[in-house]
Amino acid sequence: MSSTAASSTVGGGGSSEISGVKKTSKRPKYSRFTQQELPACKPILTPRWVILTFLVAGVVFIPLGVICLFASQGVVEIVDRYDTDCIPTSSRNNMVAYIQGEGDKICKRTITVTKAMKHPVYVYYQLENFYQNHRRYVKSRNDAQLRSPKEEHDVKTCAPEDNVGGEPIVPCGLVAWSLFNDTYSFSRNSQQLLVNKKGISWKSDRENKFGKNVFPKNFQKGAPIGGGTLNISKPLSEQEDLIVWMRTAALPTFRKLYGKIETDLHAGDTITVLLQNNYNTYSFNGQKKLVLSTTSWLGGRNDFLGIAYLTVGSICLFLAVTFAVLYLVKPRQLGDPSYLSWNRSAGGLQ
Amino acid sequence: MKRFVYINDDEASKELCCDNRISNRKYTLWNFLPKNLWEQFSRFMNQYFLLIACLQLWSLITPVNPASTWGPLIFIFAVSASKEAWDDYHRYLSDKKANEKEVWIVKQGIKKHIQAQDIQVGNIVWLRENDEVPCDLVLLGTSDPQGVCYVETAALDGETDLKTRVIPSACVGIDLELLHKMKGVIECPVPDKDIRRFDANMRLFPPFIDNDVCSLTIKNTLLQSCYLRNTEWACGVSVYTGNQTKLGMSRGIAEPKLTAMDAMIDKLTGAIFVFQIVVVLVLGIAGNVWKDTEARKQWYVQYPEEAPWYELLVIPLRFELLCSIMIPISIKVSLDLVKGLYAKFIEWDVEMIDQETGTASYAANTAISEDLGQVEYILTDKTGTLTDNKMIFRRCCIGGIFYGNENGDALKDAQLLNAITSGSTDVIRFLTVMAICNTVLPVQSKAGDIVYKAQSQDEDALVIAASKLHMVFVGKNANLLEIRFNGSVIRYEVLEILEFTSDRKRMSVVVKDCQNGKIILLSKGADEAILPYARAGQQTRTIGDAVEHYSQLGLRTLCLAWRELEENEYLEWSVKFKEASSLLVDREWRIAEVCQRLEHDLYILGVTAIEDRLQDGVPETIETLRKAGINFWMLTGDKQNTAIQIALSCNFISPEPKGQLLMIDGKTEEDVSRSLERVLLTMRITASEPKDVAFVIDGWALEIALKHHRKDFVELAILSRTAICCRVTPSQKAQLVEILKSCDYRTLAIGDGGNDVRMIQQADIGVGISGREGLQAARAADYSIGRFRFLKRLILVHGRYSYNRTAFLSQYSFYKSLLICFIQIFFSFISGVSGTSLFNSVSLMAYNVFYTSVPVLVSVIDKDLSEASVMQHPQILFYCQAGRLLNPSTFAGWFGRSLFHAIIVFVITIHAYAYEKSEMEELGMVALSGCIWLQAFVVAQETNSFTVLQHLSIWGNLVGFYAINFLFSAIPSSGMYTIMFRLCSQPSYWITMFLIVGAGMGPIFALKYFRYTYRPSKINILQQAERMGGPILTLGNIETQPRTIEKDLSPISITQPKNRSPVYEPLLSDSPNATRRSFGPGTPFEFFQSQSRLSSSSGYTRNCKDN
Repeated sequence: MSSTAASSTVGGGGSSEISGVKKTSKRPKYSRFTQQELPACKPILTPRWVILTFLVAGVVFIPLGVICLFASQGVVEIVDRYDTDCIPTSSRNNMVAYIQGEGDKICKRTITVTKAMKHPVYVYYQLENFYQNHRRYVKSRNDAQLRSPKEEHDVKTCAPEDNVGGEPIVPCGLVAWSLFNDTYSFSRNSQQLLVNKKGISWKSDRENKFGKNVFPKNFQKGAPIGGGTLNISKPLSEQEDLIVWMRTAALPTFRKLYGKIETDLHAGDTITVLLQNNYNTYSFNGQKKLVLSTTSWLGGRNDFLGIAYLTVGSICLFLAVTFAVLYLVKPRQLGDPSYLSWNRSAGGLQ
Repeated sequence: MKRFVYINDDEASKELCCDNRISNRKYTLWNFLPKNLWEQFSRFMNQYFLLIACLQLWSLITPVNPASTWGPLIFIFAVSASKEAWDDYHRYLSDKKANEKEVWIVKQGIKKHIQAQDIQVGNIVWLRENDEVPCDLVLLGTSDPQGVCYVETAALDGETDLKTRVIPSACVGIDLELLHKMKGVIECPVPDKDIRRFDANMRLFPPFIDNDVCSLTIKNTLLQSCYLRNTEWACGVSVYTGNQTKLGMSRGIAEPKLTAMDAMIDKLTGAIFVFQIVVVLVLGIAGNVWKDTEARKQWYVQYPEEAPWYELLVIPLRFELLCSIMIPISIKVSLDLVKGLYAKFIEWDVEMIDQETGTASYAANTAISEDLGQVEYILTDKTGTLTDNKMIFRRCCIGGIFYGNENGDALKDAQLLNAITSGSTDVIRFLTVMAICNTVLPVQSKAGDIVYKAQSQDEDALVIAASKLHMVFVGKNANLLEIRFNGSVIRYEVLEILEFTSDRKRMSVVVKDCQNGKIILLSKGADEAILPYARAGQQTRTIGDAVEHYSQLGLRTLCLAWRELEENEYLEWSVKFKEASSLLVDREWRIAEVCQRLEHDLYILGVTAIEDRLQDGVPETIETLRKAGINFWMLTGDKQNTAIQIALSCNFISPEPKGQLLMIDGKTEEDVSRSLERVLLTMRITASEPKDVAFVIDGWALEIALKHHRKDFVELAILSRTAICCRVTPSQKAQLVEILKSCDYRTLAIGDGGNDVRMIQQADIGVGISGREGLQAARAADYSIGRFRFLKRLILVHGRYSYNRTAFLSQYSFYKSLLICFIQIFFSFISGVSGTSLFNSVSLMAYNVFYTSVPVLVSVIDKDLSEASVMQHPQILFYCQAGRLLNPSTFAGWFGRSLFHAIIVFVITIHAYAYEKSEMEELGMVALSGCIWLQAFVVAQETNSFTVLQHLSIWGNLVGFYAINFLFSAIPSSGMYTIMFRLCSQPSYWITMFLIVGAGMGPIFALKYFRYTYRPSKINILQQAERMGGPILTLGNIETQPRTIEKDLSPISITQPKNRSPVYEPLLSDSPNATRRSFGPGTPFEFFQSQSRLSSSSGYTRNCKDN
């Protein structure tokens, strides 16, 4: 946009030049602000500047889109859905009963690495149609209790998972109670792949949100049992599975970090996963997926930003071309006073 | 209807039990909190937010921390309450100062010093020179032997001339010592606020006078807040005290006026509320359905099987709280702040300072600046408003001879001077009437000159002219008048003054010549009030012609007459006059009747012609405002021909052939009906023609028209762009304003005198001119200006800017609230329709109060067009009058924009921060950041002129947003701990922000450019022309034929034939106004003049109403 500086100076308004008969003390103080005469820049939308703006936007957005797309494409991601396949064929008519029943629920999955994955390789579990953002669920926790052992009786926001037998549950609330409890172990060519589960939570959570002297108490002692159990001899600040789970997900489809594999995976490798299929997603038609992924400066694999940038950039270029053609075909003179109606009516009466 | 005040009798006065304590306070220490709370929560907006805040205390349904509403609500209440407390404290201080002032009263015959607040009704109060009168008193005695004193009433009515007050006749001759012991009773009306009327009786008890009833008038009173002047001492008995005084009864908090814009904002708020209810119902039902179907499958939510009865209400109420942000809580505070600043800009404007008097403009009402930009009708007084109210004696006709013909100044007419020198009887008498038939008070100044204190400028002009013609009014001592003529002193004793009233339209004095003892009646007044009472046989045709002739010249006329009285006749009449003066019922009418018995068989001496010059710049101001689409009506108490001439010279109407005047006249109902019907028919025909038609009506015909033909008159009023209403009373002026308001027009009334107060208060906007007749109009008005010409700037600059800025501010406030609310609604669909808030409570509170409030306040210095452009093209005001910038259509545009931006922010956020990034606090902060960035660019796009303050507020606000959130992110106990640090260190965050801005602003920018270039509004065209720096060339007819002065001054068409005066002269040829209207051919002003006529024919004001 072009601009013309419309600053103005009024020198004649000084009080020394006023020769009024009565000079009252209430005379307003003169300044550019009080006279609404601050110097101002008034931009004007000219075709040249508008077309150039859209052109520049297109030129900036499209390369950015390409860069984002490449960054996303550079991430190697393997997604394995296992919730249905891990139910024995004979139990698939009533999967809820199977998942709630006793017995070992080991499941064996085979994953083929199609592309080399440099370490660290992040292991996520992905849940779908799981509403961690449901209001009743998201409110059912007490951060003060998690932070300090003195607050262990502060369970008023945790109902119905607040007390068992009159004793407070630590950690209380639906969020902790429904802790995800599937487990995974990985091996390659009959050799165990070590999964590092340290440092998977936020450092600030470990240091400030979960107390070092707060230990689980009465956890999963009542009925029903919702999810995983906790090691009662470790403080909450060291139970990183719990800390990760209690970071509320905003969307019904989310991934949470399970651990990191610190060795490179080569193309063609076959990974064998032994998993404990414990968590019930069958009641609400949810899905469970195991995700192995590398990362980039943009994060995990996500083509959306790249595609969006390309789309917006293309639209900007299209608009630039359209306005340019429009300008060539139908030029309009800016500020033509003949279009003012009170001038047009003059012409009309001629 | 009456009350009795017992003088100097403490026992009898106790039943009135009203001391003189003055209280202007609205609150006391104890009732401040409940009363202020009640006042604030009487407003719908505040009630709404209070309900929301109370609902939020129910933890089961509140989606966010209750602090997010209670915080802003308490803050807003605290701001309003603090302002009210501050104002009331100042009222308390002012009251305290007045109440504790010390005064002298008499108790049981002894003078005592007490505080003003302790005065009781019936106390005798003593005043000294320059004292302020502490309450309403009836005068009992003064230091003057004649019982006269002088008061200054400026604080009461704004008039700076001294007024005379006189003791009641019953008190004449009472010794100073006896005043202390005086006892009696005063029978007076119940307290009222009429400062011009006090009809009462007084009866003194023995031994003073035996039960003689003495009438009292306003002339016997000293009213509260007046000052005693030129009088050593005075004493009076208190009749009204405290808030019962006339001043106290007049006080009161004016009813707040609501602007058209406020009404529109209320409507839009109501519409948003309805939309909100619909959304709440839909989401509530969806939430309950989802809960009963899907949510029970979600085992981790543990919904109980059996729920209490109110469970159905929980989700809808939760969504109500979530959506309550749709109505911005800050809009009222923001609007109040900016309105205050608009008013300050008016007061600060140096171009609206009257250099002659040093008077700056003043905005008494800070709430209605936007209506200034939407004015459609201006109803204006004439004398003192359009004219200078500086009367100058110009011409006269004495004994059939015209003086002042040659150069328009009778004072320099050799023929008149010769007549005076030779002692012509009629001329001498004429000058005598000019000199003493008045209520003027001559005052000797320190330099030895004589200065006249006059309540009327007409009287002032006559006395000054007489003195210049060697008939000098030199002294007035109680009832004795002294005139110096040709070196000799002539004395007259004033026997009676027959007051001027609007109904009588004349005044008289009865004087006795001290030399020969003759009793003479001297009269002056309007021609219709004098000529019919001429002595039988006297030929008045010449005088009537003179009146007609002078009116054609635009001069004000008064007829002078006299007659000699027999002593018996006078004495007999005097008894009746005193009797009528004592009545409590219909006194005014009875006095008029008695006066009529004396004012007859008059010898008509001649006519005076006084010029009332136009103020500077009045024709140009009216022309510009008419081009802006504003219709002008002149409402004046003056006579018809004078008003027509002033209207012509003011550019109210165009001269023939473009202009045409239609007369509505008649004395009977049939005449008025026929005339009105004819005028209405003509007006209907000419409504579609390019003709400038105005109707003229006088007060009498108006009364009949409004009583019997109101519907026809209303139709005529709507069709007329201009009207001239003559001889109208103050209440009729207010009635006319009411008619235009009832047709849904925005009206502005402007006047300068007390008789304009009614219409000024009635109009949507009242403008008072601080003039010579006092400050009554300015005091009662919403705005006061020093000159009429400042009205142009008040409307075209301040009114238009105020309207534009408020239109943006109000719609932007809704935009930002709807933006955040739509995102919450979208989020509810992916959170199980359970009412979870995507944003945390701190963010929601800060969003409303801080993040999006600062940039918009700087819109108060935004200018879409420069002042010069608006002055050059006043037609642009049409956009404000028609409500083009704030209406359901423009609001829908902002609504659509907020919906579009909400979609952009939500979709981009949930896709860019999906999977492992979808943490609640982070995702919420990304969405909030997107909103902040978009609103910054929206404000930047809508800003027309960027000053340093604009840049600081828009981009500084962004910086402030990050600073605040970094601060919160550093607090471990907050839910946002480390959130902002993590986000800002991620490249994906900034890439997402950039994408949101590009996707959000790109289409809107393209749309704006397309409209700006290919469908520009008139404002856009002027903006383009202005910013490209080129001259604005106006197309139109170039006047090729040179105009002659005669054409400019061609007589206007009046449908009734008039007899031409034998001494007819070219119309206005000698008037200074004539030169003002003469322009050479081809001058730039000529183009605008022709534009004005042509634009008036387009009738877009009426089209606006049709649309």
